[in-house]
Amino acid sequence: MKRLGEVLTLAGLTGAGLTLWLGFTWAPSVTIEAFESPEAQKIFYWHVPSAWAAMLSFSLLFIGSTMWFFKRNQWAWRLHVASSEAGLATGLMCVVSGTIWGAAEWGIPWDWTDIRLNTFAMLTLLSLFLVLGRRSQPDGIETRDTFSTFGMYGFLLVPLTYFATRIWQIRHPGPVVGTSEGSLNSDMGLVLLIGAISFTILIIGHIISGMRLAHLELRFEDLTSKYEELI
Amino acid sequence: MAVLIKLEDLTVRRGRKEVLNGWNLNIDSAEVVVLSGENGCGKSTVIEAAAGLLNLENGSSKIQNQTIRDSEGRRGRTNFGLCLQNDCVMGDELVGEKLLDAAQANFDVKSLLDEWKLGHRINDKIAFLSGGQRRKIAVLSALVPAMISAQPIAVLLDEPDSGLDDDSIEILVQLLRDLAAGGHAILVTSHNQKIINAANRVISFPFSEKKQSPIIGTFNKLESKKSTTKNIGLRLNIRTMSGFANNGIAGLLVLGSMLAFVTPNQLGSEMLFAFILAPALAAGLNGDPIFKLLQENRAHAWWYVRKATPPNAFAHVFLGCGLLTILSSAIANHWDAIVILSGATLGLFTAIVVTILSHATLRLARPNAVMLRLLTPILILPWAILVSRLS
Repeated sequence: MKRLGEVLTLAGLTGAGLTLWLGFTWAPSVTIEAFESPEAQKIFYWHVPSAWAAMLSFSLLFIGSTMWFFKRNQWAWRLHVASSEAGLATGLMCVVSGTIWGAAEWGIPWDWTDIRLNTFAMLTLLSLFLVLGRRSQPDGIETRDTFSTFGMYGFLLVPLTYFATRIWQIRHPGPVVGTSEGSLNSDMGLVLLIGAISFTILIIGHIISGMRLAHLELRFEDLTSKYEELI
Repeated sequence: MAVLIKLEDLTVRRGRKEVLNGWNLNIDSAEVVVLSGENGCGKSTVIEAAAGLLNLENGSSKIQNQTIRDSEGRRGRTNFGLCLQNDCVMGDELVGEKLLDAAQANFDVKSLLDEWKLGHRINDKIAFLSGGQRRKIAVLSALVPAMISAQPIAVLLDEPDSGLDDDSIEILVQLLRDLAAGGHAILVTSHNQKIINAANRVISFPFSEKKQSPIIGTFNKLESKKSTTKNIGLRLNIRTMSGFANNGIAGLLVLGSMLAFVTPNQLGSEMLFAFILAPALAAGLNGDPIFKLLQENRAHAWWYVRKATPPNAFAHVFLGCGLLTILSSAIANHWDAIVILSGATLGLFTAIVVTILSHATLRLARPNAVMLRLLTPILILPWAILVSRLS
């Protein structure tokens, strides 16, 4: 199953494409008065699954960072590397789709006083910081410990982001799934479910491929060092 | 003889290599131990691990019975001398002042500097010294705590002879023996034969140990009067104007840019508070003005060993952000003590967060290459919430 990661990534991408197609062509439009821009609401089928996938990536980033820091497991560092990249990709998908919707619905793309928007953006920036920062440093225990520390402390933002709209609903809408206040009909819910499953498969595939790639990169560096010792 | 330096089962990794594996070393009072060996064999790692500057995979470092660091994450501090390969001095410190800070006591600095042919530079900035002269100050900073102490303490020296002339090495060798006569325990790394000859024990890497009988010195404690070093960061900030040049200018630039497009007395309530508090936020985003000075010659490492809180100028950041808020309040013609206090507190809070993030990256091989600014946009949130609450 050497190609498991690639297979899952492709399956996830196909599912994400199907979600978009169903969302734009099959799922019913919202007609409720609460929306200023009902057409823009369809971004929701991309925005929510990507947010879910990003949260999953950030959780895996926390596991990878913690296991590296305390147990020094090599797989944990590879998980840290792959999940920070996955978190960056899905986080950007979520932030960009959210700002497009915000511009249409609220008239402004961003609200600096909204806790949910800012903590989620911060998580995405943390992933960018980890990805770019790691590339700027030689691999070694100091690099791994430092970035793992950021990965661990950064996780504090995950529960804060999750509960933000439940505690301080400023501008970002509250939860629509699994609550009595939800306004989803069954067709909408089905498309959203397909989206969530697709993005989960996509992110798992991406992380498996990323971990394998990180393993190969580290092996290549080891071989280079051994070669340098020989010559 | 009491053991003053105790390294137990040390395992240390640096980069991708395990440099020390299960390393043990005890150094008794009145003993000089020299570590020698090829470059890269791990001598400096021993010194830095003993000083508590490295994370330990296993084992512990104790100095004067105080745990300095162990693999469980426990950390502690005690009075000992330290000189690393980097000189660990800030260029803006004055020569005499640096030695007084190292001693944490008042003593006759001039006579000591005269012995080392530096008496005429006592009031000069360290930045104006030559490399060799700067090295002398770094070495003296490590030796002074032992020279003024009647109680035996530990001294850790990493290649102290590097860059020193022959006469200075002679003085150093004699001083090492004199300090040992006073009961102090000294761990030195060196390739210099004169220093090696001054040792009671020579440990060569990978590993062999040789005992010697060096000359016996005479310890004459330097007379000193206890004093605590206070406000080092504030003193440096006043001397360098770093706070004004970094934080202050950022705040003034933001204020000036806003004034190019905004007429403050026509602003609504929310925009008015955003206008008044924005310069303090911009100033705070530059962090502690002393942080950049501490990065020079790895000075932060030396201060980390001495104090839990490194020199900083947060008090000036608070005052500066307060002044910026007063200025923007004056321009907007809106006077409110709570808003001014909020601006000062916001700037201070922002600067503290930025500084903590900056300190967290200091262990990296290239701390300046990390894009820490990516993490600072979150600091707009407290500003925005404050603006929202005030209006």
